[in-house]
Amino acid sequence: MITDLLIGLPAQRPGGVALTLIIAIGSAAGALLLGVVYAAICVGAPRLSLTLQAPMALLRGVPLLLLIFALAQLTSLPLVMAGYVALLLYSLCHVGETLRGYLASYPPGLRDQSRVLGFGWAREWVTLRLPWTLRSSLDALATHWISLLKDSGALAVLGLGELTTVASTLSQNADVRDWELIIGLAGLFYLSVTIILIQSLKFLRRRLPPQEAMVI
Amino acid sequence: MLAYVAATCVLWALSGVLAVSTGFALAAGAGGTSRAWRWLSNGGITLTRGLPTSLLVVAAGVISIRIPPQSWLPDPFPATPSASGPVAWAVLLALALGSAGHFAVIFQTAYTALGRARVEQSIVLGAPPLRRLSLLSREAATAAIPPTAARLVHHLHNTAFAALFPVADLFGWIENGANETFNITRFVVAGGAVYVALSGLIWAGFKAIELRLRLPRANAKARGRRLAPAPDGAP
Repeated sequence: MITDLLIGLPAQRPGGVALTLIIAIGSAAGALLLGVVYAAICVGAPRLSLTLQAPMALLRGVPLLLLIFALAQLTSLPLVMAGYVALLLYSLCHVGETLRGYLASYPPGLRDQSRVLGFGWAREWVTLRLPWTLRSSLDALATHWISLLKDSGALAVLGLGELTTVASTLSQNADVRDWELIIGLAGLFYLSVTIILIQSLKFLRRRLPPQEAMVI
Repeated sequence: MLAYVAATCVLWALSGVLAVSTGFALAAGAGGTSRAWRWLSNGGITLTRGLPTSLLVVAAGVISIRIPPQSWLPDPFPATPSASGPVAWAVLLALALGSAGHFAVIFQTAYTALGRARVEQSIVLGAPPLRRLSLLSREAATAAIPPTAARLVHHLHNTAFAALFPVADLFGWIENGANETFNITRFVVAGGAVYVALSGLIWAGFKAIELRLRLPRANAKARGRRLAPAPDGAP
């Protein structure tokens, strides 16, 4: 049972905790990359910004379950890929907006400093703008990533073998005492992963230089 | 479709009220003077924030699906068969628990944002505890409203998990309609539009409350500027 919860049911491996982590980390990383591009376009080209923000706002109004269902039913993507793309889009519409907000509040003092130091556009973005934006938005991003990890349980609607699906399948076929144990263990796994993620982010926050240190 | 929209609204409203009340109780317990209450409330917050709503709903559904319908249970859920009453109530409780911890953190943060000085001011004023609570709640509301609205939109989206069990809701209507008619686009677009509209209504409602709360303060500032005496030598 523990093996099934950790790596999935025999017919659906990788699954369980492993699939939950793969999909959550993959979609969070993809959304972060695309979110940076989205935020940069919005800040760099304000005219294009409204055109991009409208679909993002609409997407935020659609439940993740509906997004997963729509992608699985309306596209020819394999179920795992449909689930991944749905989580990626869901994450992007939240992360993108967060990054856009922080990027827009980039202090003019830092921009002036980079000019004085003779930095070009690309160098300023890589050495100052992006690190400052990511550092400032880390708390908001951390909250979203924890939520994303938990929301990956919505993939159960497709019957994908992630942790919630495995727990649900095992508990529906189990005796009373067993399903209590199964649900309890699944909850414990989610809780452990969430706590590890929170502690890692706290560690990362301590390791990163404070925002004030970036101002020369 | 209207019955399913109503079912989603009922699920959202009842579980939302329960979640906000539990969140308030957890936040109050976590900031209280009793060590046991603080420990219990913090444990409750960590647990409800760390567990996914999907798993809570699955657990509630698996437990309650074996319970026969009870005549004393009220049946406020439109389009849900009365035999599924216990499941519907269990799903409602699970949805409320899934959001309670998040609301507790929002309320704690808003209270912290008030600052020590303002809390002490309210004590010095000598108002009775209930008056003080109402005053501080009003002050903290401006900080708490935007994240509360965001969480209530998320809460609305979480009601879709009810479709995992025989409990009527909008997502269940979309899923069943799409599977029965194979007209997936029609059901997805119609259901998605209703979800977007409901989310928009929540945002707009909370924006209106936020503006209403900010207006008296802005008016008072403007009055204060008008009444302030001009400095010496000023025209």
